[in-house]
Amino acid sequence: MSAIVVGGGVNGLVAATYLARAGRKVVLLEAKDALGGACATTTFATGFKGPTIAHALTALDPRVVAELKLARRGLKFAVRDMPTVALRADGKHLVIGRDVRATARGIAAHSRADAEAWPRFRRELFDLARAMRPFWWDEPKRGWNLPPTIATLRRQNLAAWLDSRFESDAVKAAVACDASGLSPLVPGSPLLLVWRGCQEMCGLQSAAAIPLGGPGALVDALTAAAKVASVELRTGAHVADILVKDGAATGVVLESGEEIVAKRVLASLSHSQLLATKAGRSALGIGESTALERSVPAVASAKVLLALNAAPNFGGSPSRGRFLLADKIETFVTAHAASRAGCMPEELALEVVVPTAADPALAPMGQHVVSIRIAPLPRHLAGGWDAAKAPLAAKAIAALERCAPGLARHVTAAQVLTPDDIAKRYGEEDEVTVERVMSDWPSRILTPIKGLFLCGAASEPVGAVSGRAGRIAAAHALREAAK
Amino acid sequence: MRYDAAIIGAGAEGLAAAALLAGAGARTIVVERSERAGGRATTREFHPGFRASPFADELPPIPADIYWALDLARRGAIFRPAPVSPAARRFLRDVERRAADIRARAVAGIDSAPDHSFFSRPAVPAPWPGEDWMALSLADVLAREPPDIAAHLAAAALSGSVADPYLAGSALHLLTLPRSGFVTGGLASLANALVGAAHEAGADISLGHDVTDIRHAKGRVSGIGLADGSEIEARAVISTLDLKRTFLSFFQWNALPKEIVHAVGTFRMAGAAARVLFALDTMLPDAARDRIHVSSDLEQLAAANTVWRTGMIAPRLPVTLRIVSAADAGLAPLGQSVVTATLGAVPFRLFDGAWTREKREVLRMQALAALETAMPGAGAHVIAAEVIAPPDIEEALGATDGDLMGGALAADQMLSAGPWPDVPFPRCPLKGLYLAGSWLAMSGTCVAGAAAARTVAADIASGTLK
Ligand SMILES: Cc1cc2nc3c(=O)[nH]c(=O)nc-3n(C[C@H](O)[C@H](O)[C@H](O)COP(=O)(O)OP(=O)(O)OC[C@H]3O[C@@H](n4cnc5c(N)ncnc54)[C@H](O)[C@@H]3O)c2cc1C
Repeated sequence: MSAIVVGGGVNGLVAATYLARAGRKVVLLEAKDALGGACATTTFATGFKGPTIAHALTALDPRVVAELKLARRGLKFAVRDMPTVALRADGKHLVIGRDVRATARGIAAHSRADAEAWPRFRRELFDLARAMRPFWWDEPKRGWNLPPTIATLRRQNLAAWLDSRFESDAVKAAVACDASGLSPLVPGSPLLLVWRGCQEMCGLQSAAAIPLGGPGALVDALTAAAKVASVELRTGAHVADILVKDGAATGVVLESGEEIVAKRVLASLSHSQLLATKAGRSALGIGESTALERSVPAVASAKVLLALNAAPNFGGSPSRGRFLLADKIETFVTAHAASRAGCMPEELALEVVVPTAADPALAPMGQHVVSIRIAPLPRHLAGGWDAAKAPLAAKAIAALERCAPGLARHVTAAQVLTPDDIAKRYGEEDEVTVERVMSDWPSRILTPIKGLFLCGAASEPVGAVSGRAGRIAAAHALREAAK
Repeated sequence: MRYDAAIIGAGAEGLAAAALLAGAGARTIVVERSERAGGRATTREFHPGFRASPFADELPPIPADIYWALDLARRGAIFRPAPVSPAARRFLRDVERRAADIRARAVAGIDSAPDHSFFSRPAVPAPWPGEDWMALSLADVLAREPPDIAAHLAAAALSGSVADPYLAGSALHLLTLPRSGFVTGGLASLANALVGAAHEAGADISLGHDVTDIRHAKGRVSGIGLADGSEIEARAVISTLDLKRTFLSFFQWNALPKEIVHAVGTFRMAGAAARVLFALDTMLPDAARDRIHVSSDLEQLAAANTVWRTGMIAPRLPVTLRIVSAADAGLAPLGQSVVTATLGAVPFRLFDGAWTREKREVLRMQALAALETAMPGAGAHVIAAEVIAPPDIEEALGATDGDLMGGALAADQMLSAGPWPDVPFPRCPLKGLYLAGSWLAMSGTCVAGAAAARTVAADIASGTLK
């Protein structure tokens, strides 16, 4: 075997396929019985299918789609570009779409000055995004330098940055939703927004799309591509540790005791997961164990899927939108502070999509699926997440009910994944920090162990369904092999 | 008569600037609204026989070269170092080194230094000492200290201020830690010494005159206008008020370039301090000479910050107590004492309206409770208390939002990353106007004034100022 890929999520599949296409003999080991990781479609109630975790693709690398010919392998999109709809309790919902003028007209209902500022803001953001593209999409060419405007942005916080551009809470909160991984008071937090603007889902800057059949359809296409490239796919193969000899990876050992030997190991593990392995710990020295504890994020997200026996009504807004619920920027500030303190935020910030609006086949006729991401939330809740599971769902539904009256009555089933559930299923994530966002690919992909590469979402500036980390990690592994 | 420099405000910065400029041969005048010079460096009787400095007990250090250049020792500004707990000493040495580095660069004109930027490219604001702290939280920086020391240092760094100690960037507050120590006779002695220095150097000091506007035409400043209608012509104007106050109260907005209005409008203030002065009819244990931070661990500071942001008064504000009469017996009658309480996380704007009597009473009660916690039984000996709420600080000193630091301490607001990166402090886009507000208050007293004086002198010498 010339390479082992640990983990069959999007990134693992992408990495394995690129390696195999380059002529390597590759085995992909996935602990679970199904491939896809956090990108999956699940049947959560009889007849209802929904996105388990990721529900709107915003960061999928167009090169992965093209190079692995995913369209030919069955990837189709139900929606390519959902408008963002900021739901307001007063019913003055704000629709932010690709059409700058139409968006500005909508903003005018909240503030004339903001409507005027909107086109300028879009231009500024996309200019910054374009400037950062070489850095976030790939390893920048020699001589490429960070633009000075970005260095300045590292010192600014999102709240202040938006305050100096907009006056209405509606616009500020809607924009801030896309950077909710960091508290809006952290210096450098606007960079998350720039990162988001840098993504070109379906060739459209900053778009959000849903594959036909849900996120699982992307995984099916990727699996097909992997098979065509003759990747050996093994599910139910939990890797217990990475074998290391003289500072270099020599293979892996499965929980069953089986050892698989290979010169190169690409693992879609987060740094905290890697540090939890014996190999990781010995490579970095025991002293790092304290750092390990601190690197576990304080802030996480939860996922709720609802089955509805009627269409949700968001006050006349297009139901194909990506709905955001957050009153003002302060909602994120306090939610981050509360999360860090291990308390349930008083006000939740929600990102909601209705996959059945564009893809009715996901639910029985006339019925619907509502997918809710709640973030930020405490990774560790005082009193534990188990007891808070039902109250969390109730709180989210109540928040939604305020903007979509009557919704609660139609809920027939629900699935709630708390931050605990998600960490248990997919492993502990790495914290989003400004340093991580601004570090280069090699520093995130390479490890102190020779031949061991990290190819998962933890190697991306911000974790997302993108495949970029897998693609770049594979290139690194191939380059090292060529040496 | 046309002056070389007119200075607005006779606080420590204004007086230092005046003394230095006049000493260098410039015709200089300081104009002060109040009848007394000193600004926050004042000491007054708040109850018969009991005196205290209302806004602060101590000031950040005065750089040694300024202290000696102005001959402040001979003029009676004698500092006695504040006691520091031995456990915190090592850490504080590092902080003091950073702060001193900032001071040195500020006085030398921080931004004339060659531009070695973070990413080694020109046109990026130069890094300054403490740059690495902008991305760290207080909790990060203090992580290796024992928990009690960490809590003490965090509380000290946030005393009379506010921030979430777990939030990246809050480490910057540590730069406020270095203190000069007490001035014997209270801070007014320092003001007197500075007045003496300014006078002797030949500067005019005009008290009781309210500056109403800064005269300017074609982007160039020509002097200041006073409330009585008179005008003082000057080649340079140094404002020692904060950025917002300077532009808000001395200019008509529509007469200013849009960029200036925008930069000033979005500059953030973070007033959060209140003070309570207590007169006690008993002697308090002398052992407690250091500041006592009551009930403020990191969690509590974080919670107080959250409440502050909503415009409410937290149920337990962080309180710092100091028995000022223990360090300077002259402040209280024999056998009696003066205690000051510095409260942090006090919002300037309350969500439910004005700072009424009842609201001030809340501050008094909280300070009293803290006093009782720290020194059981002391509460019964309180014979008088004066509450100074954030609006009082604004009123008395002209500090916008009662912010004594001249703006929220944040990476994007400080030093070379100020509102106009291409025209760094103390200059601003208006030719002839220099800002010596307390934007540098955290790193040292008289530093901003000295930096402005040096810049004006240089601009006169180079002929930039006609
Ligand atoms: C609540 C939530 C909502 C999200 N929403 C979105 C969204 O809307 N849009 C978006 O773009 N992104 C979203 N994301 C992020 C996105 O889901 C992830 O970043 C992405 O799916 C990660 O892909 P991956 O392949 O790198 O890792 P994963 O999908 O986590 O795959 C890792 C795989 O490795 C396997 N594995 C782990 N350890 C071992 C082992 N020892 N041996 C064998 N196999 C192992 C796991 O079983 C898993 O299948 C969301 C994340 C969360 C938590």
